[in-house]
Amino acid sequence: MSNKTRYFVAISGAILVIGLGTGLVASYMGFPVSVFSSAAGPEELQYVPADASVVAYANVRDVMSSQFRQRFRELEPSSQDKNEFEEKTGLNFEEDIDSVVAAVLGKTDLSTKPHEGFLLLARGRFQAARLEALALEHGAVIGDYQGKSIITHHDNDNTNDTPADDMAVGFVEADLIAFGSVTAVHAAIDARRDNRNIVSNNDMMKLVNEIDNANAWAVGRFDAIASQAHLPAEVQNYMPAISWFSAATHVNGGVSGTLKAEAKDETSAQNLRDVIQGVLAVAKLQSGNNAAVKIMADSLVLSGKGKTVAVAFTVPSELLDVIEGMAKGRK
Amino acid sequence: MTQMTQSNRPLSFWNSSRRVFDLSLGEMLWSRRTIFMALVVGGPVVLAAIVKIIEIFGMSALRVNGQKVAGFGIFGVMIWMLFLRFIVPVLGVFYGTALMADEVEDKTITYLFTRPIPRGAVLFGKYLAYLACTMLVVLPSVMIVYFMLVPFSQLPSTFGSLLVDLGLLGLGLAVYGGVFALVGAFFKRPLVIGLLFAFGWEQVVLALPGYLKQFTIAYYLQALVPHAMPSDGVASLLQGMFRTTPPAWVCVAWLFGYLAVFLYLATRVVERKEYVLEQ
Repeated sequence: MSNKTRYFVAISGAILVIGLGTGLVASYMGFPVSVFSSAAGPEELQYVPADASVVAYANVRDVMSSQFRQRFRELEPSSQDKNEFEEKTGLNFEEDIDSVVAAVLGKTDLSTKPHEGFLLLARGRFQAARLEALALEHGAVIGDYQGKSIITHHDNDNTNDTPADDMAVGFVEADLIAFGSVTAVHAAIDARRDNRNIVSNNDMMKLVNEIDNANAWAVGRFDAIASQAHLPAEVQNYMPAISWFSAATHVNGGVSGTLKAEAKDETSAQNLRDVIQGVLAVAKLQSGNNAAVKIMADSLVLSGKGKTVAVAFTVPSELLDVIEGMAKGRK
Repeated sequence: MTQMTQSNRPLSFWNSSRRVFDLSLGEMLWSRRTIFMALVVGGPVVLAAIVKIIEIFGMSALRVNGQKVAGFGIFGVMIWMLFLRFIVPVLGVFYGTALMADEVEDKTITYLFTRPIPRGAVLFGKYLAYLACTMLVVLPSVMIVYFMLVPFSQLPSTFGSLLVDLGLLGLGLAVYGGVFALVGAFFKRPLVIGLLFAFGWEQVVLALPGYLKQFTIAYYLQALVPHAMPSDGVASLLQGMFRTTPPAWVCVAWLFGYLAVFLYLATRVVERKEYVLEQ
């Protein structure tokens, strides 16, 4: 065997050994998403605790400036209430908020204390001093946690509330606020500081990573929500055996999106596909002369294989014309 | 005298095969045929690089029903369409049929047959060289494509499938190589017959209902693929329609059975056939 051949064999063998070794290490130890690649999703995810069962995101600026929204703007109710809010807080939702991330935190009992389990992160331009002054006027307290300014408000009317139940707004970055219970806001700050956030949750980030070209989306563990909500066993028995779900939508001239679910096993997924297929067939059958329903039903596409079930939809401009016409007629 | 006796004593089948393997591996790797193999195997790597670049710019390279196909999905499509349906059979045909046919064509087979080694070992050693040569090119290519397309976060959940793919491609190269080694040893125009078998017989029979598909290699190989079968045309649709998947152990048993039978027959043919060299 010549040296040339030996080098070739060594290089090919090295590629195989390095690849197999990397794969084996990844399989047994797991890789965080951030290794060798930037994390998917917005930066705010670094403030979402790792055990969150649902994460949702909306690019408010994109949605607000979309043709879809402009089209229905004139149908919106009076802006008097909005102006009053803007005068008090200095906050114009349309212009000052860029994006919002919402999360349902794990290990919280949504049936008895739902407010404790929610966290809202809004990125935009905030007048902190004005908001703090307004909060103080209404009996709130301004404190500090890990060097971040936090406004907390205690509900004096509810005698059962503990300090952990207080609602809070934390100014976690110059252009980012966290809103939720004191526990949730503290957890958000800790998640960022300790780097133990949803970005290190590979299962959740896999779903986030699959979302493409959407300006609003939500992903989560379906079974975790069902258990946190303490639904009665009878209700849980009738719920589909779904473990993960994701919903993504893109709003611009029209609205398009995908709803995806991962069932617990292939049989459950097949059953779910059959049920959806049946519903779609009935919808198409019932649409008859109703143009709006017919257009919507025709745009639904069912897909998925193995444990995955997906429904893609598009709301075409023809359907928007119909809805707009109906809304104007009522007005 | 003793030294002469030792050097003239025929080598065992395995030692002979090893000697032929050593000689043939270098010849095969640096032959003109390797340029063709590099082009064939480099194609998927280039495609994967293009897909990666498209994804870096925030676009999706492949969509089905409006849904983005993730990196591992694209990898699965490549394993089906490029490696299993094209690269493995084509390399099997080009290299397998040439194992003996090249020596006959170049009129160098006499030099090998006059050595004190079993004639069957010539074919077996060359077959092992073919296997090493193709696997050393195809499997690293699959590995590179995998790491280019699949995000690191998905390694834990997809690595098992990669191992199955690598094993499957290795087995495919081995079985196709065995079949075409027999074709090359037996027939005078083996390349045409090999191409007709791989891209005629196998493709047609797989798209037909009935038991004939059991006499193909693709039927058993395709049943073991851990990715969903893509339907990219009428032939694929028909193949998908009449596709049946026998249990994995049945497929593996048949494939190893084919390998053993065809390789044995090929060595027997080489041992018994009188190769007449054209003047």
